[in-house]
Amino acid sequence: MTTIHEYTLGERLLTLDNVCVHYDRPILDGVTGHVDNIRRAGRQQGQVVCLLGPSGIGKSQLFRCIAGLQRPTSGSVRLNGSGREVQAGEVGVVAQNYPLFNHRTVWGNLMLAALRRGRSVDAAREACLALLDKFRLADHARAHPMMLSGGQRQRVAIAQQLLCSSHFLLLDEPFSGLDPLVKTAVCETLIDVSTSHELNTIIVVTHDIDCAIRIADTLWLLGRHRDAGGRPAGGASIQQTYDLAGMGLAWDPDIESRPEFHDLAAELKARFATL
Amino acid sequence: MKPVNLLLPFTPVRVRWLHFLVAAQAVAALGLWALSGSRTLPSPLEVARAWGDLVANQGLLVELWTSVKVSLLALALSTAAAVALACLATAPLFMPLARLAAALRFLGFAGLTYVFMLVSSDAIALRVGILAFGMFVFMVTGLLSELAATARDPIDHCRTLGMRHWRITAEVVVLGKSDVILDLVRQNAAVGWTLLTLVEGLTRSAGGIGAMLLNQNRYFLLAGVFAIQATILVVGLAQDALLSLIKETACPWSMLGKETPAS
Repeated sequence: MTTIHEYTLGERLLTLDNVCVHYDRPILDGVTGHVDNIRRAGRQQGQVVCLLGPSGIGKSQLFRCIAGLQRPTSGSVRLNGSGREVQAGEVGVVAQNYPLFNHRTVWGNLMLAALRRGRSVDAAREACLALLDKFRLADHARAHPMMLSGGQRQRVAIAQQLLCSSHFLLLDEPFSGLDPLVKTAVCETLIDVSTSHELNTIIVVTHDIDCAIRIADTLWLLGRHRDAGGRPAGGASIQQTYDLAGMGLAWDPDIESRPEFHDLAAELKARFATL
Repeated sequence: MKPVNLLLPFTPVRVRWLHFLVAAQAVAALGLWALSGSRTLPSPLEVARAWGDLVANQGLLVELWTSVKVSLLALALSTAAAVALACLATAPLFMPLARLAAALRFLGFAGLTYVFMLVSSDAIALRVGILAFGMFVFMVTGLLSELAATARDPIDHCRTLGMRHWRITAEVVVLGKSDVILDLVRQNAAVGWTLLTLVEGLTRSAGGIGAMLLNQNRYFLLAGVFAIQATILVVGLAQDALLSLIKETACPWSMLGKETPAS
């Protein structure tokens, strides 16, 4: 049975305005989309957008543009309705290899990020302790990143970015190479982060369709423009947006037991061939 | 115990077995030397006697200390200057300067002596200046190679944490590569000992173990030459072990994920 949770849309949090990235050929061509604040009565409901697309389509380029690490050739990425383009450091970024400073301990990595936000040392310590506890990393505070498992390293990377970003978190392929149990744990972590603050906004770049449907309230399908004959022509843009919240497929912990989940997953898999 | 084939590459070996191998090969080398019966090479016993004579009558240990001071001072100066220049080289304006400094390693020292004499106040300053220059150009070369090999990821990571410009340099180059810098310091310390004889030969009156070596060489006192070389070898290895210990203590992460002997 489809259950549509009541929600309203608030202020604009993220705007992708006709983002184009060209090198010797167009990579991204007119990527346009937005994320609005989702409000649900009686709870902190953040936003989770999954950007789906086949390999080599330009997801990483868009990732870098949203992170402020790269200026688009034209168009803009803006946060919180401002007219200013996003700057590196405003969006937390967890790249596919879970980057951390290997020369610092877990604690050193977290404190470095916490102090970047202008906290006092005591406040930074408190924030780090809270996140270590939340992400079940307290026993590894003195470890160096090279001593951690992939899952632990990912959690430290997420915690580090949460400490210094302004409610935005961008993840590149967080489910890549994980077994089903760990994938479930990562999904739970992301849902947990998204529901810990009203303005927390997570954008996940992935080609894992099942995980995307499990955690997202919105899906963006990135695909290439095609000519009349169906051949790829030009760069990629968001070909379709799925409003999972409006479809009653968001925020359901048992989503995988519902036939709509499997129908949508099958539909998306079929769409991949044409993206 | 399961037999281990020591001839196969990357065979896991216990640490104590590695120590045994080193000791056995050192003893074998000494034995071969002692039994060689060469008329041109001094025997180990002759070298030991010469060493005793150099210590007792010619102040070998005092001269050694003079050289150690010069070597350490030059090492400190060259390291500080090379790291500073490598950091500056992360800004495009200073990269040509760093490349020029690295290119100077091809210059012959003999041609530079006069320039250094003009700017040096005394013999020790001259030695330190030339030695520091020799170490500096090689260390800059090593650091520039490291800079060129720096991936985009750690720089992007710094940016995502809101770091900018020199703060990124401090995190990625100074802190992130501190283990590499310490390795380069180790290499430079060894280079310093090889250059020392040349440098001390320019001003023999100021003493030093290099000057002493040249004097022994001049009169074909081969036992003395071997004794001094052995002394330099022992001091160099001890210095290398100390720097290695400093690196392992200061940069414990540098050992993680490396192929190491089984304990």
